[in-house]
Formats: sequence, C-alpha cells, structure tokens
Amino acid sequence: MPASAGKVNGFYFMPPSLSAWIGQTIPDEDFDGDIPWTPLKKPVSETVFSLMTSAGINMQTDPDFDMQREKQEPTWGDPSYRKIPKTATQADIHVNHLHINTDYIKQDMNVTLPLGRFREFEASGIIGGLAPTSYSYYGYQTDPTALLEETMPKVAADMKTEGVDAVFLTPA
Amino acid sequence: MGLVARFLEENGFSTILLTMTPEFNREIGIPRIAAIEYPFGRVVGDVNDTEGQRRVLLETLSFLSHAKTPGEVVHLPFTWPEDPRNTKWHPPEASPIIKMYLQAIKKAGAEKRK
Repeated sequence: MPASAGKVNGFYFMPPSLSAWIGQTIPDEDFDGDIPWTPLKKPVSETVFSLMTSAGINMQTDPDFDMQREKQEPTWGDPSYRKIPKTATQADIHVNHLHINTDYIKQDMNVTLPLGRFREFEASGIIGGLAPTSYSYYGYQTDPTALLEETMPKVAADMKTEGVDAVFLTPA
Repeated sequence: MGLVARFLEENGFSTILLTMTPEFNREIGIPRIAAIEYPFGRVVGDVNDTEGQRRVLLETLSFLSHAKTPGEVVHLPFTWPEDPRNTKWHPPEASPIIKMYLQAIKKAGAEKRK
C-alpha cells in the first residue's frame, strides 16, 4: 500500500518490528528548536554544488571504511570521511556498509551518489557547477561527536576552498 | 545526516537532504528535506535508470530553489515500482547492532501488534 495522503512513510520498507523499535526514539511532535539556515544566494543554474553521501563509498586507491571494528563493537561506526573526485567512475569506487545491501551501489553509484547525473547537469547548464570534490562518510554513527567535531570541519574547509555554495546530501 | 546538514548550514552552505526517512526531522530539525518513498541504498532511483534518477534530482533541485523556511519538507510524488518485501535492501547479514538488540526489536514488534 502506498504512503497515506501523499506523504512519504519512512517506515514503508522496514519490517514491522524494526519500525516499532526505531519509532520509539522519534518524537511525535514537530521539532520546535532553532534550525540553522543559509539561504540559497543564486539561482541553481549559477550555484556550485558538492555532493555528500553517507553510504560508505571510497575510492579504490583509499582505505575502506572500518567494518571490522564495528563487528567487534556494535555501537561504534567509523567516523572518518573520504573524498570522491568529480571524475570518479564506477570502476574507481568501492563501498562498505553493514546496514544496507551494497550490490546496487556496486552496479551504479548514482543510486546514492549521483555524480554522473550532476556532471550532466553541469554540462547542460542546469547547475552552475560541480565542485572538483564530493564526499562520503559512513552513516551509522550512534555518537556523532567525532563526525561533527573532527571530520566535518575538514570537509567544510575543503568546500570553502573549492567555492562550494550548496551541498546535495544523500543518505544510504 | 540531518546533523551534518545543520553543521553545513551553520558554516555558510545551503543544503538539501534527499531522504527516505523524513521522520527524523521531528527529532533533529533539518534545514531542507525532499522526502522520497524509495528503498534504503537507492534514494536517487534504481540501477541504471538514468531518466528516473534525473527526474528525482531535478524535482529536488527545484525544491531547493523554492524553499524559504527552515525545516521545510517536500514529499516527492515518486512511487517505487516493487512491493517493499521484494526490494532486497537488507544487508546479506544482519548488522551488528541489530544482532545485539534482536530481542528488544522483537519485543517492540510484539507490543506494537497488541
């Protein structure tokens, strides 16, 4: 059965027990705190994008994300990141993730890191540009401290250097 | 990923999160969400479906250019063609955390069914 009233049901693909378990941690009420906001300063056709996925993709020439330690310590997830050049092809990448079936990404990374599509958007002028570097990290983080305090400041600094205006985020 | 979006916005980047789980917005407060009812691991679309991926991304970019309010959500009108049980998004082996909490997960499921 499709989602009710045109609204996306984030539990649609989950087994009922897993939905019930995860649902316990999500409040019923809307978020009422402050939400940080950087307005889009230019039309999309003039905006420089970088992509970021949490799917655990890396270049074959870089180390894999650490799955072994997570198997020993189930509440730990690798908090590091990898750079993915805009020119990366399917043959250049590798993917590790213990929470999804990675077969699809191994066939076509665009299912979660749409570099091919964004290269086309850049070539046809739909976007202002695709930055030289996109980014990948590992989305399973029960404690996001290292990701936010050590990893992301480096990513943000690199994005500034490459003139990024907007970041297109795709979870696994 | 919502926390990463917040971090980037605080650091001067506009973000758009294309996600299959918009519910986390209630917990975290995410700047801009394009929600899509697609299976885990394929949020943009299916393998080699260039045209389908393109449509999803263009709709998402359109929302990015129109969103004016922090926390704004659009529910994209795309439907995955398979029954959820046939999407095979699960890893070949249960993740370590699922194995660790298997009893609690089963209990949550049983209580929900009551």
